[in-house]
Amino acid sequence: MKYENLPWLILFLPLISAAVITLFTLRSKTVSSLISIGAVVAGFVMTVIFVNANGMQFSGETSLQWLEIGDLKADFGLKLDALSMMMLFVVTGVGGLIHIYSYGYMHEDRSMARFFACLSLFTFSMLGIVLANNFLMMFISWELVGVSSYLLIGFWFEKPSAGDAAKKAFIVNRLGDFGFLFGILMVWGLLGSLNFSALQNSITANPAALGAMATTAGLLIFCGAMGKSAQFPLHVWLPDAMEGPTPVSALIHAATMVAAGVYMLCRSLFLFNADSLHVISYIGGFTALIAALMAVQQNDIKRIIAYSTLSQLGYMVMTVGLNGPTPAMFHLTTHAFFKALLFLAAGSVIIGMHHEQDIWQMGNLRKKMPITFLTFTIGTLALCGVPPFSGFYSKDAILAQAWEQKSYLLFGVAVFIAALTTFYTFRLFFVVFFGKEKSDHAKHAHESSLVMTLPLVILAVFSFAGGFIGITNNYGSQFVHEHETFSAWQQFAEPFHNPFPMVCGLVAFAIGFFAALSLYKNATSDPLPKKLGGLATLMKNKFYFDEIYEATFIRAHDFLAAVADWIDRWILEGAIIGAIRGGTDLSGRALRLAQTGNLQTYAFLFVLGVALLLYFVLGK
Amino acid sequence: MSILTYIAGWPLLAALVLIVVPRNFRVIIRAIAVLATLISAVLAVKMFCNYGSALPDADGYRFVQQIPWVESLGISYHVGVDGLNVGLILMGAIVAFAAALCSFEIQTREKEFYILLLVMTGGILGAFASLDLFFFYFLHELALVPTFIMIGVWGRGEKKNYATFQITLYLSIGALIALIGLIALYIQCGANTFDIPKIIEHAKTNPLAVNAQNFIFPLLLFGFGILVSLWPFHSWAPLGYGVAPSPTSMLHAGVLKKFGLYGLIRIALPLMPQAAQSWAHVIAWLCVGNILYVGWVAMRQKDLNLLIGNSSVAHMGFIFLGIASLNLIGITGAVLIMVAHGFLAALTFALSGYIYKQTGTLEISALGGLCRKLPFIGTALVMAAMAGCGLPGFANFVGEATVFFGAWKAFPTITVIALWGALVIGGIYMTRAIRNVLHGPLPEKWNSLSDASHLWRKLPYALLLASLFVFGVWPRLLTEKINPDAVKIVAQISPAPSADKLVAQSENSGVRN
Repeated sequence: MKYENLPWLILFLPLISAAVITLFTLRSKTVSSLISIGAVVAGFVMTVIFVNANGMQFSGETSLQWLEIGDLKADFGLKLDALSMMMLFVVTGVGGLIHIYSYGYMHEDRSMARFFACLSLFTFSMLGIVLANNFLMMFISWELVGVSSYLLIGFWFEKPSAGDAAKKAFIVNRLGDFGFLFGILMVWGLLGSLNFSALQNSITANPAALGAMATTAGLLIFCGAMGKSAQFPLHVWLPDAMEGPTPVSALIHAATMVAAGVYMLCRSLFLFNADSLHVISYIGGFTALIAALMAVQQNDIKRIIAYSTLSQLGYMVMTVGLNGPTPAMFHLTTHAFFKALLFLAAGSVIIGMHHEQDIWQMGNLRKKMPITFLTFTIGTLALCGVPPFSGFYSKDAILAQAWEQKSYLLFGVAVFIAALTTFYTFRLFFVVFFGKEKSDHAKHAHESSLVMTLPLVILAVFSFAGGFIGITNNYGSQFVHEHETFSAWQQFAEPFHNPFPMVCGLVAFAIGFFAALSLYKNATSDPLPKKLGGLATLMKNKFYFDEIYEATFIRAHDFLAAVADWIDRWILEGAIIGAIRGGTDLSGRALRLAQTGNLQTYAFLFVLGVALLLYFVLGK
Repeated sequence: MSILTYIAGWPLLAALVLIVVPRNFRVIIRAIAVLATLISAVLAVKMFCNYGSALPDADGYRFVQQIPWVESLGISYHVGVDGLNVGLILMGAIVAFAAALCSFEIQTREKEFYILLLVMTGGILGAFASLDLFFFYFLHELALVPTFIMIGVWGRGEKKNYATFQITLYLSIGALIALIGLIALYIQCGANTFDIPKIIEHAKTNPLAVNAQNFIFPLLLFGFGILVSLWPFHSWAPLGYGVAPSPTSMLHAGVLKKFGLYGLIRIALPLMPQAAQSWAHVIAWLCVGNILYVGWVAMRQKDLNLLIGNSSVAHMGFIFLGIASLNLIGITGAVLIMVAHGFLAALTFALSGYIYKQTGTLEISALGGLCRKLPFIGTALVMAAMAGCGLPGFANFVGEATVFFGAWKAFPTITVIALWGALVIGGIYMTRAIRNVLHGPLPEKWNSLSDASHLWRKLPYALLLASLFVFGVWPRLLTEKINPDAVKIVAQISPAPSADKLVAQSENSGVRN
C-alpha cells in the first residue's frame, strides 16, 4: 500500500480539529470554522492522492493493536478497498461542501465554534465507521456518530423541541445498538473473531459456521442498521432530528450517518443468510412505503425531505436484502449528492424566508432565489428519477434488481413508491417555487450568499452526472467477482439492457408528476385532506407511531421504574432499616425496664446475683 | 522505603500536621491538604509509569516493602502492587487530589474536614497497597469512619441524619461480616500468617476444604458486597451520596467503594475457587438487580444526586458481572471498570456539587437550561453522563465492553440483560437528566450563576475527564498490567486447563510436585 499513513491522517485530522476547537479556539468563530473546514477538505485531497496512488481495485488493511485480552482481540485497524474508498469520497467530498456551506448558514449563530467542533467530531466518527476493519471499532465509531448526532440535533438546546428530539434520537439509536452489540457478541462467540476479513474467511471456509443461530445473528446485526438508517420500527427519530440546523440535516440525516446502516450491511454482507436477507428486504420495502405515504401530508419543508430520506433509505435496505449491494451503494452515493443538495437548497430557502419552514407560507420563490431554484430543480429531478439525472440510474438499478430477483411484490411496491416520491416532491416544488407568494416573508425573500450557493452548484453537477461517472464500476469491483468495467457511454445506456423496469419507473414518474401538477400548480392550500379523508389524517400523524411507542415502550419502562422505586423506598430501605432500628429500639426499651432507679431493687438484684454466683461456684 | 509508603503516607502525615495548625489559618490548612494530595498523586503517576521497569519480586509484586510487626501472629507491614491494584492506587490518588481541590465548598470547621479528608485518603490508598490482611482491613476502617463523620457534620438537606444513620449501619455491618470472614479465613487456611502472598502460596499446596470455603465465601461476598452496594443491600448508597458533601462522595463512591471488589478479586477468588464457582450464578443474578432494577430506580429519581448515586450503584453491577464470569476477559474488564468508575463517580459528584453550591438545590425540576450559564460545567456534565452510559472514548466503555465479552461466555442471558441496562436504560436516564438539567430554557432565577472560570476551579474536572479519556483511548496502559495477574487468578479458579491458561497451570503443577 502506497502512502500507508494517509488514511490515518484522513481519519484523525477531523478529531484533531474537534479537539483544537474545543480546547483553544471556542472564542473565535472564524478560526474554528476554518480549522474544521480545512480538516475535511484536506481529507478529501488526501483521499484523491491515496486513490490515485493505489488505484480503486486495491485492497489492504493497516492496524494498530488496541486491546488484547485472552481471546478478545480488537485492533484499531483500517480496511481500504473499493467500498471504503468510495465512501471516503462521499464523506469528505459531500461533507466538505456541507462544511463550507455551514460557514455561511451558521454565520449569525453565537455558538458557531461549538457547531464546527461537533461537525468535526461527527466527520471523524463517520470516517471511523467507513474505515473500520473490525466490528468493535465499527461499534465504537457507531456510538460516536450517535453522540455527535445527539449533540448536533440538540445544538439549539434552549429550544425544548430540540432537546426532546436529541434525546429521542439518542434513545432510539441505542435500541438499535443494543441489538447490534448483542449480534456482535454472538458472532464473536461463534466464530471467535471480530475482524471482517477473518470472519469472511471462516464463513467462506465453512458456510454453516454460524449454525442454527445464523438468522438470529444476522437480524441482530441488522438491528444496528435499523437504528442508524431509521428503518421501521425504529424510524421515528429521523423526522424529529430536523430540529437540528439544516447543514446537519444534510450531512448527518441525509448524506452520511443514516447511510451508515446500509454501508454496514454491505460491509458484513457475508454474514447474512437467505432468511435474514429476506426479512431485511421486506423491512426496507415497508419502511420505504410508509415513509413515502407520510411525506405526502407534511407541511414543513425539511420534514418532507426527511421523510423522503427515510423512504430512499428503505429502498437501499430493501436492495441489500435483495442481494444487491452494488445498486444499494450506487443509490446511497447518488442519494448523498441529491439529498444533500435538496437539504442545502431548502436551507437556503429557509434563510431566505427568515426561518420560516412551512411550505404554505412560501410560493413563487423561483424569481427571488434563482440559483436555489435551479439547483433545487436538479435535485428534484434526480430524486424523482428523471433521465439522465443520477437518480434515474440508481433507482433503475434498484428496480432491475428487484425484477431480476423475481421479487415481484417488492418490485410493485418500489414502483408505487417511485410514483409517490415524484408526487410529494413536486408538491413541495410547486408550492414553494410557483404560484403566489403566500406570506410577507415570501415577498421579501432574497438569494443566499456565494459561500452557500457555490456548494449547491457543485452538488447539482454531481446530482446530474452521478449516473455515468463510474460509481457502479467501483462498487461492482468490490461485490462481483467477474466484474467488467463499463465506459461512460455504456453506463449511460445501461438501463436499456432491462427495459421493463425502466419503463415502469418512467411511467411511475409521469403519474406522480401529473398528479402533483394538477393538484398543486396554483394551490394556496392543500386540497388532498378533503379527498382522502381519514387516510390523510393518518399520514399527517405519521400513522401514530410516536403515540404507540409512547404508550408502550416508554410507559412500560416508566411503570417498571415506578415499581422498582416503590420497592426500594418502602421495602428495601423502609422495611430493612425499620426492622434493624425497631429491633434495636425494642431491646433498648426492654433493657430499660431493668433500670428502675430504685435503690432497693438494685440492692436486691445485687444480692441475688451474688447468691447465684456463690451457688454456681460452690454448688459444684 | 517503597514509593507506596510515601503515596499513602504523605496524606496521613499532613493530617497530623494539620492538628497543630490554628483553625483560622484557612489558606494554609487548605494549601497543606492540596499539596499533600498533589504529592501523593504525582508519586502515584510516577509509580504507574515506572511499573513496567520495576522488578517484580518472587510473588510478582512490585515496589514491595515489608517490615515485620507482630511476629507471633504473622502480621507485618507489607505493601506492593501488581496489575490488580496499580490502577486503583493511581485512580485513588488522582481522585483524592481532585476531592481536595473541590473542598472549597466547605465553609465551616474546615480544619476538621481537611484532617478527615486526608485520613480517608491515606487510609484507602494504604488499604489498596497492603499485602497484609491486617493492614488491608485496618486501613480500610481508618478510611471508612471519617465518611460517617463527614456526612453527619457537613452533610446537606433534611435527610442528613437518616442518611448518616443508614450508611453507618450498613457499612459497619458489612465491614463486620467481612471481618468475620477474614478471621475465619486466617484460622482455616492454617498458614499462621496475615501475609496475603504467603496465604495464597500456602493455599496452592493446601487448598481450603470445600466446607470451609462454602462457609467463608458467602461471608466475604456479602460482607464486601454490602460495602459495594450489591443488590439488595444498596439502599444506603444513593441516599448517603445524595446528602454527603461532594468531596466525601467523590472519595467514597470513587475510591473507597472499590475496596470490597478488590477484596473479592484479591482474596476470595484465589483462595476459595470451588466456592467461587458455585456462587458465581448467585453473583450474576444479583448483579441483574444492580443493573436493571437500580437502573429503573435511577430513571425515577427527581434529585440529581440521587440519580447519580443510583447510576453509580448500577455500574457496580457490571463489575460484579465481570467477577462472576470467572474468566480472564471478565476479570480484566471488572478491574478496568473499577478504575474507570472511580474517575467517573468522582467527576459526576464533583460537578453536581458545583451546581449545588451555585443553586442551592439539586431538584431536577427546579433546574434547566444550565448549559447557557455554565458552559464549562455543563459540557463536563454532558461528557460525564455520556461516559456513564458507556460512550466509547471514555474508560467506562472499554471496561463494560470487555465485561460483556467475558460474561457472554459464562452467562449469555444475563449479558443480554446487562446490555439492555447499559445501552437502553442508562441512555434513557442520562439523556433525561441532560434534557432536564442542562437543556431547555433557563429559568429566570438562575441568571446570576457563574461558571468555573479560572484554572484552579476547572482543574479537578479537567483532570478527571482527562484520566477517563486516557484510559478510554489507550486501554492497554491498564490491560497490559492487569492481564498477567488476572491470568494467575483465573488459573487458580478454573479446574480444567484450557489453551490460554496452560502456562500458568504448569507453573501451578510445578509447585504441587
